[in-house]
Amino acid sequence: MGTVAQRLIGAAGAPPRWLQSGARFVPVVLALTLWQVIVDLGLVNRDFLPSFSDTVAALAHMIRNGEIGLNLFVSLYRALSGLVIGSFLGIGIGLLMATSARADGFFGPLVATTYSLPKAALVPLFILWFGIGDVTNILTVVLACLLPVIVATYHGVKAVPPVLVWSARAMGTPGPAVLWRILLPAALGSILTGVRIALSFCFVLTISAEMIAAKTGIGKLIFIYGENGAYAFMFGGLMAVVIVAYAADRALVAAMHYILRWDDSLHSVTSYD
Amino acid sequence: MTDRARAPAGSSTGGALRRIAAMLRDWVFYAYPLVLLVLLWEAANRLGLTRPLFLPSVPDVIRQFATMLVSGEIVGPLALSLYRAFAGLALATAFGVAIGLFMSRSRFAHWAFDPLVSIALPTPKIAFVPIFILWFGIDSLSKILLVAFTCVLPMVVATYHGAVGVSRSVIWSAEAMGTSESKMLYRVILPACMPYIFSGVRVTTPVALITAFTAEMIAGGGGVGANLMFAQRFFQTSTVFVDILVMLITGFVFDSILLRLRDRLIPWQDEAERQ
Amino acid sequence: MSRIVIAHLNKIYKSRTGDVPALIDINLDIGDGEFVSVIGPSGCGKSTLLYILGGFIAADGGSILVDGKPVTGPGTDRGIVFQEYALFPWLTVDQNIHYGLEMVGMSRRERDEIVRHLIRTVNLEGFERRFPRELSGGMKQRVAIARTLAYNPHILLLDEPFGALDSQTRESMQDELRRLWLKERKTVVMVTHDVNEAVYLSERVVVMSKRPGRIVEEFKIAVDRAGGREATVLSETFTRIRNEVWLSVRRQVGAAPGGADRNEMAGG
Repeated sequence: MGTVAQRLIGAAGAPPRWLQSGARFVPVVLALTLWQVIVDLGLVNRDFLPSFSDTVAALAHMIRNGEIGLNLFVSLYRALSGLVIGSFLGIGIGLLMATSARADGFFGPLVATTYSLPKAALVPLFILWFGIGDVTNILTVVLACLLPVIVATYHGVKAVPPVLVWSARAMGTPGPAVLWRILLPAALGSILTGVRIALSFCFVLTISAEMIAAKTGIGKLIFIYGENGAYAFMFGGLMAVVIVAYAADRALVAAMHYILRWDDSLHSVTSYD
Repeated sequence: MTDRARAPAGSSTGGALRRIAAMLRDWVFYAYPLVLLVLLWEAANRLGLTRPLFLPSVPDVIRQFATMLVSGEIVGPLALSLYRAFAGLALATAFGVAIGLFMSRSRFAHWAFDPLVSIALPTPKIAFVPIFILWFGIDSLSKILLVAFTCVLPMVVATYHGAVGVSRSVIWSAEAMGTSESKMLYRVILPACMPYIFSGVRVTTPVALITAFTAEMIAGGGGVGANLMFAQRFFQTSTVFVDILVMLITGFVFDSILLRLRDRLIPWQDEAERQ
Repeated sequence: MSRIVIAHLNKIYKSRTGDVPALIDINLDIGDGEFVSVIGPSGCGKSTLLYILGGFIAADGGSILVDGKPVTGPGTDRGIVFQEYALFPWLTVDQNIHYGLEMVGMSRRERDEIVRHLIRTVNLEGFERRFPRELSGGMKQRVAIARTLAYNPHILLLDEPFGALDSQTRESMQDELRRLWLKERKTVVMVTHDVNEAVYLSERVVVMSKRPGRIVEEFKIAVDRAGGREATVLSETFTRIRNEVWLSVRRQVGAAPGGADRNEMAGG
């Protein structure tokens, strides 16, 4: 990693951290340059692939007139609400399933069967029941985020060494307190990994739901511009989505680094594991 | 997640029937929350708590399922959706494994692809549907390529991790025995990666199915997803339910098949994930 | 007046393939302030016995009375130290030791005082803010012991507490444990597979048979330890007793399941 940068800088010592992480993205810069070049050279029809500069210009325009801000905000609101609600519910259910055989017997089959259902398939149904809008969208996202968090919580809690629970009980911790004082912190690594997966899901579902039917949102924006042939704007919206999704993932990873700084088994949680 | 006891082996059809009955009974006990849900559903309907437009009765849905099954309205679109999903998955696997292996053996490849993969992974690839329609039309090609695009990244990651996980001593032993670079890839690293690749396929299959269905829902062009949207537009709620059920069962069936396949093909792998 | 009275204790592990008896008819009286080691071949059930004493698993027959009252579950009167330390990895050294005190109910200042004293006692000053993952095995074990001592249980249950440490660390930890015991005179029940350790630390050593475990022999350790570790370990008395215990355990290792009978062992 950063070998090219290191060779450029020479043997004068390790290059500063920011340069090293920046150097990591040189291939991206190269790819973007390639994109610009093949369109400018006419190798690809501009109608089908606006150039990088066209896209950035369109995006800048949309930022200035507030279109991006508005729609992105709505989508983020839906996605993150769904994520938060889904995560809390998921942790609760996962905890329950891992500590109560009865809860496991009840929720287990439900989880196993709905696991393979594309939650987007429920959007038309929800539109029928709740109309087009935030409720439909957020509900879909909640259902999508539930499963990875439930599974991750379940496995995380099951993996807590019994001696931790026994120590806590020997020190007088009452039953329910064991749940949130011992099991939850001990399972946090696994839980947060599940939340990271749920994070990627929440964007997918918000946008899917918006593309299927919505009045506002970045998914709808991309879709409408696509339909109307304003491809630079369509690409611009897409670029905004890529940036936001990447930033959100990195933010979560940074948070995980801090929250889990005590965990010595999480050396690879921050790469694309 | 519960253990199901095997019924004792019987002889002749009486025994076989008893075994099937026992299996069914075990399954009902295991899936009792589902049974409960169905009962609640039907009760809500009988009690008039919901309107058939929003929640068709259970018998209606079953009847609609049977009708559609017979008329080919399920099998046809399902075949199309499956074709798209698995063609895309096959493409993704071929490219993903190749790129992943390449990245594991070449520092340049790793340097070049790593940031691209890292940025592309968290992106909701479904947002690219309008682009794929623009470039490849509404029919199967755009869906297949979208599935491939969505699935290639997890396959790259899975293969890469498998490949770099091959222990150094294994590679060095092979090198000491004069293995060329290409042989190394085919005869040492690839086989060692198989569990990871298979695991990647297993995890990515639902993604392929979901992407195909969702793309059809957004863009149309045939398949179960398009059918679903069509039915919803005309308030044919029973059909909507049937299509949802079809998607559910399809996903469940394939996941079960893959689980069983894995146990058959790679019995030595110690798998920590189970659900 | 005995602190711990174990009478006719049984434990059977049930499985699909049949019942596996782990402990059979265990009878043991442990006096107030006594240091007793339980030793035996691997799998003999000595840890199981300790876990039943701690109230983490239930017996299938017989009784355990602690101070006249039956054991129904874990409690702050019986502190436990595990071989795997069982520290809470998400808490610092300081927070781990504090944990034991939170359930006891005293003022913040009193708690801080006790924790500071304990950290000094186990020689971990300067490491209060570290996480367990930053500590060596010996240091982790010291935190575990400090944590258990914090809430001052009458009884200390030690499950191979030094098993995961290297010899040098183990020896210094043993000395520290003995020093603490001499000062506080708690009742200690220690499970170990190390004969030297058992004889060095305890007043009494109980030998168990191969699984299913029963108590086959007891040794009263009459060793003068006043001269320090070197003098003690090299003394004739220590060596003689240690050899007797070692032979006893070896016989159990080689014996049939259920143990070599006392009568069989009378000859030698």
